[in-house]
Amino acid sequence: MKKYILHILIVAGIIAGTSSCKGFLDTTPTDSVVAETAMSNLFDAGVVVNGLYTDIKYYTYYGRDLIYMGDMRADNLYPRVIGGQSATIYTLEYESEANTYFGLWTNFYTTLMRANTLLENIEKLEVESASDVATKNDYHGQALAVRAFVYHDIARLYGYPYLKDNGASLGAVILTSPASPSEAKIPRSTVAETYAQALADLDAALPLLSKSKNTGHFNYWAARLLQARIMLYKGDYAGAYTAATDVINNSPYSLVSNANYLDYWGHEGQDETVLELIVTNQGDIDNDGGFIAMFHHLWFNDLNAAASIIPTKKWRDLFANTPNDVRAQMIQYDDPATGVKKTGEYWLNKFPGNKDRGYTFRRNNPHIFRITEAYLIAAEAGLETGATAAASNYLNAVRKRADPTAANVTATLALVQTERQKEFIGEGHRFFDVMRRGGTITRNMATDEHDYAGSSQYKASFSWDYEKVVLPISNNERVSYPELQQNPGYKN
Amino acid sequence: MKKILLIALALLSCNIAFAQTRVTGKVTSSADGSPIPFASVVVKGTMTGVATLENGDYVLDNVASDAVLVVSSIGFVDQQIPVNGRAKINVSLAPDTEALDEIMVVAYGTVKKGSYSGSAAVVKDDAIKDAPVVSFEQVLAGKAPGVQVASYSGQPGSEVQINIRGFGSFNAGNQPLYVIDGVPATSGDWSSGNISTSAMNFLNPSDVESITILKDAAAASLYGSRASNGVILITTKKGKAGRMTSTFKASAGFSYFAYNNYPLATDSETEELHRQAWYNYGTDNPSVWKNYGSLDSYVSAKVEENYPSKDESKYIYKDWEKVLFHTGIAQNYEYSISGGTDKSKIYASVGYTDQQGVVRIDYLRRFSTTINLDFNVSKRLKVGGSVQYSWQYQDGHQDGWASKDNPFFIWKVVLTERWPYAYKSDGSLYLEPMNPNFSTTNPIASYDAQVNDAWQNRLIMKGWAEYAFTDYLKLKSIVNSDWLYVHDRFGWLYGHPNFYAYSDIGGYMSDRHRNINRMVSSTTLNFNKSFGDHNIGAMVGWEAEKEHYTMTRVGKIDFSYMGATESIFGANFQDGYSYSRDDRLLSFLSSLNYDYASKYYLTGTYRRDGSSRLAKKSRWGDFWSVSGSWRFSNEDFMSNVTWLNDGKIRASYGTSGTLPSDYFGYMSVYEYDIYGDAGASYPANLANSDLTWEKNKNWNIGLDATLFERVTFSAEYFNKKTTDLLLDATVPSTTGFSSTLTNIGSMSNTGFEFAVNVDIIKKKDLNLSVGFNWASLNNKVLSLSEEGETIVSTPYVWKEGYSFYQYRTREYLGINPENGKPQYAEGSWYEKGEIVDQDVIMRDGTVVPEGSAMPADGYNYTPTTRNNASNIILEGRTAIPKGYGGFNVDLGWKGFSFSMSWAYKYGHYIWDEGVEQLENDGYKSYGQNIAASQVDTWSETNKNATVARRIVGNSQGGYYYSSRYLKKGDYLRLKNLTLSYNLPKTFVQKMNIQNARIYLSGANLLTFSGLNIDPEIQASGYYYYNTPALRTVSLGLEVTL
Repeated sequence: MKKYILHILIVAGIIAGTSSCKGFLDTTPTDSVVAETAMSNLFDAGVVVNGLYTDIKYYTYYGRDLIYMGDMRADNLYPRVIGGQSATIYTLEYESEANTYFGLWTNFYTTLMRANTLLENIEKLEVESASDVATKNDYHGQALAVRAFVYHDIARLYGYPYLKDNGASLGAVILTSPASPSEAKIPRSTVAETYAQALADLDAALPLLSKSKNTGHFNYWAARLLQARIMLYKGDYAGAYTAATDVINNSPYSLVSNANYLDYWGHEGQDETVLELIVTNQGDIDNDGGFIAMFHHLWFNDLNAAASIIPTKKWRDLFANTPNDVRAQMIQYDDPATGVKKTGEYWLNKFPGNKDRGYTFRRNNPHIFRITEAYLIAAEAGLETGATAAASNYLNAVRKRADPTAANVTATLALVQTERQKEFIGEGHRFFDVMRRGGTITRNMATDEHDYAGSSQYKASFSWDYEKVVLPISNNERVSYPELQQNPGYKN
Repeated sequence: MKKILLIALALLSCNIAFAQTRVTGKVTSSADGSPIPFASVVVKGTMTGVATLENGDYVLDNVASDAVLVVSSIGFVDQQIPVNGRAKINVSLAPDTEALDEIMVVAYGTVKKGSYSGSAAVVKDDAIKDAPVVSFEQVLAGKAPGVQVASYSGQPGSEVQINIRGFGSFNAGNQPLYVIDGVPATSGDWSSGNISTSAMNFLNPSDVESITILKDAAAASLYGSRASNGVILITTKKGKAGRMTSTFKASAGFSYFAYNNYPLATDSETEELHRQAWYNYGTDNPSVWKNYGSLDSYVSAKVEENYPSKDESKYIYKDWEKVLFHTGIAQNYEYSISGGTDKSKIYASVGYTDQQGVVRIDYLRRFSTTINLDFNVSKRLKVGGSVQYSWQYQDGHQDGWASKDNPFFIWKVVLTERWPYAYKSDGSLYLEPMNPNFSTTNPIASYDAQVNDAWQNRLIMKGWAEYAFTDYLKLKSIVNSDWLYVHDRFGWLYGHPNFYAYSDIGGYMSDRHRNINRMVSSTTLNFNKSFGDHNIGAMVGWEAEKEHYTMTRVGKIDFSYMGATESIFGANFQDGYSYSRDDRLLSFLSSLNYDYASKYYLTGTYRRDGSSRLAKKSRWGDFWSVSGSWRFSNEDFMSNVTWLNDGKIRASYGTSGTLPSDYFGYMSVYEYDIYGDAGASYPANLANSDLTWEKNKNWNIGLDATLFERVTFSAEYFNKKTTDLLLDATVPSTTGFSSTLTNIGSMSNTGFEFAVNVDIIKKKDLNLSVGFNWASLNNKVLSLSEEGETIVSTPYVWKEGYSFYQYRTREYLGINPENGKPQYAEGSWYEKGEIVDQDVIMRDGTVVPEGSAMPADGYNYTPTTRNNASNIILEGRTAIPKGYGGFNVDLGWKGFSFSMSWAYKYGHYIWDEGVEQLENDGYKSYGQNIAASQVDTWSETNKNATVARRIVGNSQGGYYYSSRYLKKGDYLRLKNLTLSYNLPKTFVQKMNIQNARIYLSGANLLTFSGLNIDPEIQASGYYYYNTPALRTVSLGLEVTL
């Protein structure tokens, strides 16, 4: 009998021994990194810096939605078929109750949180060698530049144009460090304060940033061009001119040639590109790549109604008298006579996909800053500050790059605007370019069957006085933060 | 496996050589002299034994003349009879009066039902064995009060959701804990996202002996941090001492949709409705038809473009229902053996199930086997073990809104009668998308071009030992390994309309391998002793649980080889990763029972749990319960009340918990990603180091009685309050996150439960009994993180004072008969006494003019357009039923037995996403189907219509969420019906067969409901084109040798 007791004791002892040892209840994740150790050296800090960009390229930001906001709300592009989210943006029929197309707001603050977290932790990194210090400073500068970039986007989407009321309207909720839920509930600042924050961040960032090319990342020149853009929006033309010409004269970037212009869009790290975001097919980031092939006539080899947007007749007509303009060659007629799955539409064939990575039209790197923008900012700011001759040179450089047969012109604000409209289609500029100067956007529905926005229900023409030129704060956002101020004209 | 079986069989046939004789005799009941079949006659202290035959006779060879026979049978008192050299020994067993008190399996042990003071329901194998189901869970519908059961989908093997006494959690799950033979098991949803599968599918329902559903704290608290949603205890079949029996069972059946789902408008009605939509659109927007000359030619062109007329000369048209669906055939084969002696017992079975679904590609195959062994090594030591293994393969399709993969969605929404099936010229399939909203193509072509399947392998191995120090002190140890391996695949191959979804070269194939290994070890010490009228039971023990989960996923694209079905053919990675996770739980448990003279019972339980899912400082939690009952029928003063056979009042109070479903929610982590050619990482969560479990306080009172030896009933009331609810509390986006897991809020579930069973006729050859049960549920959110907070989870809203499944949307007020436009309640909220800033019409019609005070709280019901209408909380419209339950009828006459069980549910609303596509007032007028309910449209000549003026892209219509998505969910359904016939003994015994039975069994045979979609919808009320429930009829044969 004692034998059995012994047996049981042995069995029980083994069981107890295998499972009740100290630390039995301590487990750690294997599919994520515990925060305390996530940025403990310079190498890891570089990985965290990369994390600043992953959401900016996402389709709810520069991958798609910001392009929609910049081009489709204006007169450059429209959705091919009635219905769906893109139609709502085109007709400015969005409401505060819906949240689907306002991933933008959450995306802005996700990126700001990442930048703020990095800024808080980067100071704790101890480095010694000069090159390590430079790298650390560059990381620091990138976080500041990303923050400035996002604040400017918030201001131009959620606030009225600066020049309408000198920035008196509501802008961003300004946070400069990681915030707990209660700390994050602060009121929106004005547009002027938001601009001030962005410019202050850039002032701090510029001395820290490296001046070398760094594809997919902010460097000194990208930050400088951002500074030029913000100053232009703000009406600080002298500042914009200085910044833009600095980039033109001193940076390693240069205009792509006419011959290479069409091919340029399919390549990474070109001298034309001051800042692009890298889209790859790795890592479950977004299956569809940056641009969800929204310009392509065959979306996933299917005629797809909702996903496709096409250039307006108004935009196509900009080239009616300049057939040699290389940009006119981006218009592609999808001739039904040539085969099945042809739509009889004109498509914008600007973004062929990143060929350097072997991708097709489905994966394009969003082009955030191009050296061309520096030229056109310099032209516009030059005109505003009386440097007409220089302005004409900058404008003509862009015009003749596009059409070598074009004659030189004396720059005017209208010509600069038209050039911007031709040049930046699909890059999210047109709406802001008209609005920031108090212009009026007019759609020519009468000329085009697809332009249903001309029907009685929708506004055909609007300026910065129309309340829907700023986006509503989504109701979902205001459920957890009811004090967050809504923009005028939207239902609370 | 085979070896174990052989050893077991060898053990059973062991004999001991001795001075031996043959003993024969008959075992009868002392009550009425009737023979007792299957009684066990065993030579004491040996493994020699037999079971009596149907007529009570037994023959036992080689019995020593000085041996002692032990004769036993369930429901009778055991007898020990010295042989004393006799050759014929007849035994008369006295019925065990205590046996009325059936033994039931409860947490960490068994009790006599009469002494139990918790709330639990038992479902026996009789109710399960003949049902044509994959999992026993499907049979539980309507069987026990307070238990809601719903299948996720009608695909075979789909997950079954069980909710016990309402909903106690926001996001840590509302599924009960499953315990198999005393060991917590891996359970629940193991779907891949594309095919629904349940971990419980592994268990062959025929291997189930009984199910106990633990409902209140007294019953469940011993399971501590996992007991809040109730516990389902599964007891599998064990060998019984006695003659070895073997049973063969086979059945075959047919299934098809149980309900007329979404009746559609006819072809001509559909064309007319599309015409109306384009006509009205053109009328309102003359600019759109300027290029067409006239409105009429515009309308004709648009209708023809979107709903082309048939061209029989060119195309072949078919009835899509017949093309896509078929009558599924279900087959089931089982073989089991059971038997043993007083020293060793075995139960073993093998089973094979093959079930086809209605969709031509849906089917499930399962092979299962189990072996259960017990040995009495000595008087004091018992050991045992079991092995359960099951292999399952499921082939199916994506459920829900999948315009290229879900045949049910495609059939109902996309495929019109005018969609060609094939070309007449060469018979090849028509593969062009016809509907510009959906690039759906002929689903028959894509059936072969998609991969949607899942394998499940599960192996549960258990060993246990029990040592009795004395007859009242026992130590038991269990070690159990539960391994589940799920491999699922999802792919779009050549020919599938989504072939190019991920790349230009085309094709997508993803494999997932998930392994979960759960080791459980427990040791308990039991004390059980009576001191006169005082009976004391006590238990202390501990349990350790270790779970290791691994997952590997590989997704590949660019399939250049046409016949490729495996990812090895893919040229490029779409995705590939693996990771693992560990979860641990360490527990100490104890219980104490006391009863006095079978009149007064008192029980207390206590468990302490430590979990790896919580931070060090908060990981230990205590859970306890106390309960008592008074069996007043055993009081002396009741002895004259002959009509009352048994009566008991019971009450319990206790606590339990729910762990966070997130393993590492308490720590702040960084997620890893890719940017360009390098890594990227960023903070992934807003950590909450104070995270703790949800706490449940639960009380229950009940009354059980048996009257006139015929009527048993039980009535109870429960009140379950959950606090520290885990919630992804919405945080301002300005934090950079959308939510953080927090213990906030509280919720209550209260309800009454009532069950009655009446044996109307109890005769030897005829018996009839009926049972009925009903339960109510009142579910209420008591508080959220902040007072007055509203958490919107469309279409639901969580708000203090409202139910967990409270709907919130615009209120649809019908159409305006003047212009046919849909109207919605304006929806502004006014409090009583508030001076209104506009004219307000209250819900009851009271008009409150601008500037006057509101007479009561309420929303403004003034009709307006959709975009001016606010979402409002639709008070009283929730997914929570007012009442639910079932009833059953059992009839036995000679060899026939008939039983049916019904389930019902009423007073709840379902949210039908079908409205968006099928009842949208013309929003989608691109040649898709339209529900039959949409025919009565408004026009100048039909102003009393029920449906709005149809218009293309109708921005006011049913496409947008409103109360039109809510439908009354009431239903009554004949869940199961079984008719069974035992072939006459005289006939079968000639063939050396103990028993032979044929049976006809049906599921979901009749349904009564006002819905236009199958009413059996998951407890949340949310319906999204999942394959509806099936009606199954099956015929079976069972032979026992």
